[in-house]
Amino acid sequence: MARDNIYLEEEFPTPIKQLWLTFSRTPVVMLAFICYLFLFVMAIIGQFITPHDALEIGDKLLFPPAWSDEGDVEHLLGTDSLGRDMLSRLLHGASLTFGLSFVIVIISMFIGIIIGSFSAITRGVKSSVSTHFLDVILSIPSLLLAIIVIAILGPGLDNILWAIILVTIPQFVHVTRDAIKEEQRKGYVLIPILDGASELRVLITSIYPNIIDKIIIQMTLSQSAAILDIAALGFLGLGAPIPMPEWGAMLADSLDLFYIAPWTTYLPGLTILFTVVVTNLVGEGLRHSLKLQKAN
Amino acid sequence: MLYFTLRRLYLLSFTLLMLSIVSFSLSYLFPGDIIVNLSGITNPTLEQRIELNALYKMDDSVFHQYFAYIKQVVNGNLGISMFNNAPIVDEMNTYLPATIELCVTALFIATIFGVTLGFIAAIFHNKWIDKIILAFAMIGYSIPAFWLALILIVIFSILLSWFPSSGQINLLFDVKEVTSFIFIDIWFSDIDDKWLAFQDALRHIFLPAITVAVTPMTIFIRLSRTSMLNVLDSNYIKAARAKGLSNVKIIYHHGIRNALVQIIRQMGMHFAHLVSVVMIAEVVFDWQGIGSWLINSIFQRDYTAIQGGLIAMATFTFLINIFADILYVTLNPIERYKRHGA
Repeated sequence: MARDNIYLEEEFPTPIKQLWLTFSRTPVVMLAFICYLFLFVMAIIGQFITPHDALEIGDKLLFPPAWSDEGDVEHLLGTDSLGRDMLSRLLHGASLTFGLSFVIVIISMFIGIIIGSFSAITRGVKSSVSTHFLDVILSIPSLLLAIIVIAILGPGLDNILWAIILVTIPQFVHVTRDAIKEEQRKGYVLIPILDGASELRVLITSIYPNIIDKIIIQMTLSQSAAILDIAALGFLGLGAPIPMPEWGAMLADSLDLFYIAPWTTYLPGLTILFTVVVTNLVGEGLRHSLKLQKAN
Repeated sequence: MLYFTLRRLYLLSFTLLMLSIVSFSLSYLFPGDIIVNLSGITNPTLEQRIELNALYKMDDSVFHQYFAYIKQVVNGNLGISMFNNAPIVDEMNTYLPATIELCVTALFIATIFGVTLGFIAAIFHNKWIDKIILAFAMIGYSIPAFWLALILIVIFSILLSWFPSSGQINLLFDVKEVTSFIFIDIWFSDIDDKWLAFQDALRHIFLPAITVAVTPMTIFIRLSRTSMLNVLDSNYIKAARAKGLSNVKIIYHHGIRNALVQIIRQMGMHFAHLVSVVMIAEVVFDWQGIGSWLINSIFQRDYTAIQGGLIAMATFTFLINIFADILYVTLNPIERYKRHGA
């Protein structure tokens, strides 16, 4: 049979690369991915490129966005009840709501993988206790758990960080544990074991590279949940302290003025919606391409 | 079947044990005096303190304290609220029914619409109607509940004034609280215009229920779509088609029933998520339920209330979970022997 490839070696792309190849084929998902990267960049540099200081109190109160008749181009998205520029606040908020969710997901991923691997390679009572304990935490509503942590630590941005990390960890433990259990049944894992590799070595060199795609998918799904949790806690007044431009807190701030200045409410809401939709689309795209890969 | 039920109940007791340990340790973790956190009496006199110390065995080891605490909880003594000195159990009796009512209504709406839309999407797989439903599901899944609640209030109560934006029933109706389930109370009350009161309560529950229903509804859409697609792909559907049955008959007789079984199982799993949304919706719509009560107690530093709320809400979620599990296994005997300790 004629071969396209004149070299003898066949190249097998790594699971991550395979995932990327199928992932980048869907236009909608790629668009979402570009938006996701944009949000990521904004979370890092957003607070340095704001046209005004996000906390600066101006004298132009409740200016509507620039496209309405009374608007002012200087404040592209209008101002809030204290004359603070909405665009600047939204940009600054990207680092709080979106950036924080990223930090949360990274930390809980590491802790979750460690606990999940432990739970997967142990057997008997230890494994059973860790699974059931996990079930308990998983079945407590996430907001309730976060509220309890906040009751212990007190409200504040760094405390809700810990609260949401605690809520997110069990999801990662679950995914890691199930993925490792699934891989352990496959044949290729047996070979290093027969070679005499220790359980830890098998885990690191053989299993982790093959489950990393599942963990990345879980990361995006957890992140969208984390964004909603941060915003919800901010909305309830338990998260970011008053002047901070966290999107949920901004929304709660603007409630009294909803009728006079609707843009102060719908802009943060739309931003949260946009962010979560983008994150979910990326996650869905990844999940879909993983499914396609399995089918092939 | 009996064996399976017993197993689940055994697991429930284990879960409750864990929960009780967590809630007991909270009185150590919360700021302030342990005995104050346990009993809720903020400034106990010396006699009260001695009495409480004896009741909760504070002079013994932690194990004795734990068992003393469990004894109190089992006897229905969760302490008194630090905010208004009412017993926590009484408070919960007034607030929990409202929450359950909201949850059940929302779950009902979510199931009816979610499952129907999901089936429609699956039947028209890869057609434009499927894509519209999927896009709707994606947005509904991502929309922040509190923002959705505000938008619904603006559209339906301020602009159109169709539905009231807060409360459970118009105060003009003098409905006596017996069970705290508003609909049952109306049923048993002796007011003249029961039907009007019922309509009013229905209008009050509409917006919060829609808000809460959207997230689980989108989950159900996707679940029912996937399970219907799986069913339609299976061999017995091909056999039915080969027999010459019409599409409607296939879907009605073979599709829907087999797809529904999968959904019941997932319903229990997503219940915890629903409760989170309920808590937010209760705050926005000023619904006198346990969620808004809990969030208020954080601001009032009412630690006994938080503790009690945790026990009540978590137990409620566990019970629903187990109920869904048992229901699932009853309907689907194949699963009965598969899931032992997996």
